[in-house]
Amino acid sequence: METLVFQKPKSIHKDCKVTFCPGCDHGVAIRIIAEVLDEMNIADKTIVVSSIGCSVFLNDYYNLDIVEAPHGRAMAVATGVKRAKPDKLVFTYQGDGDFASIGLGESMHAISRGEKVTAICINNTNYGMTGGQMAPTTILGQKTTTTVNGRDAEVQGYPIKICEMASTCEGAAFVARCSLDSSKEIENTKRMIRKAFESQLAGQGASVIEILSTCPTNWKLSPQESHERIRKELYPVFPLGIYKEKTSKQV
Amino acid sequence: MLLKKGIDMGRVVIDSEKCKGCLLCVDVCPKKILKKSETFNAKGIYTVYADDKNNECIGCALCAKRCPDIAITEVYR
Ligand SMILES: Cc1ncc(C[n+]2csc(CCOP(=O)(O)OP(=O)(O)O)c2C)c(N)n1
Ligand code: SF4
Ligand code: SF4
Repeated sequence: METLVFQKPKSIHKDCKVTFCPGCDHGVAIRIIAEVLDEMNIADKTIVVSSIGCSVFLNDYYNLDIVEAPHGRAMAVATGVKRAKPDKLVFTYQGDGDFASIGLGESMHAISRGEKVTAICINNTNYGMTGGQMAPTTILGQKTTTTVNGRDAEVQGYPIKICEMASTCEGAAFVARCSLDSSKEIENTKRMIRKAFESQLAGQGASVIEILSTCPTNWKLSPQESHERIRKELYPVFPLGIYKEKTSKQV
Repeated sequence: MLLKKGIDMGRVVIDSEKCKGCLLCVDVCPKKILKKSETFNAKGIYTVYADDKNNECIGCALCAKRCPDIAITEVYR
């Protein structure tokens, strides 16, 4: 007897066509979130807040209730959704540009207020959708279309570190940085997403999952070289791990 | 769609029209069964197929979990 050991998650539309560039990790992130929702059996009580960036068509993939937020405002929209529907699981799916550039104010204030929502932030160190411009997370020396000679601290300043920053907020309950560069890290990222959702459902506060992700098109690297770049260049600047974890007693 | 039947072994179902030929699945397959195809799909992409004449697939699903396009739609063991 054959047993089915893997299938497309139920939270993904049956005839969904993933429209990211070949080898882009966005697709993996979207699938593992759906797997977590299915495994926790909470798809029907989930409301997703999508954002502006390469993941703008999230509603085409997810078989879930979705609100599209204006650029950068996902955490503000999520605040409203969660306060109106406190029994729902509410999470945002945002790029690093959306979360930490135009939306930095909304993101940090929502986390500081301890809104019981989860932010999932895809850190690919550039603005993917608009053609690979510098993002707040672009690392020093990285060439983008707006830092043609590489990011220079004297001119463009230093990269913003999302997890380090979010974990200083009292309202933050669970903050972790993970990656999708290998099968092992994909599994770990799934675990972290689940922990964040559990923390939200336990009413502990805001949770943030930053996922180091590839953008082969704008990095001008193959998908394989892009994963290599994550390990070699991004790990030292953005160390993986749990940056904050409130136990229920601290709530 | 490529299907491979095995006895008490693994089997992967690949939707060639969804495959974008990134070859990430090829790298993670421990049995090196997945191969780049000589033919292309409707979008002109050289996709992958499971070359498993000796029924070596163990159904680990590492390929499906690595695929960014959910092009490996089912894995059996
Ligand atoms: C108010 C506003 N300003 C600017 C833009 C242009 N814009 C669209 S997506 C984007 C950034 C996308 O980068 P990121 O959030 O990192 O997501 P990615 O595409 O890399 O996944 C920008 C600046 C916009 N759509 N709306
Ligand atoms: S531009 Fe970059 S982030 Fe956007 S879909 Fe393509 S590879 Fe992915
Ligand atoms: S990982 Fe998916 S999209 Fe990439 S070559 Fe394999 S089946 Fe095709």
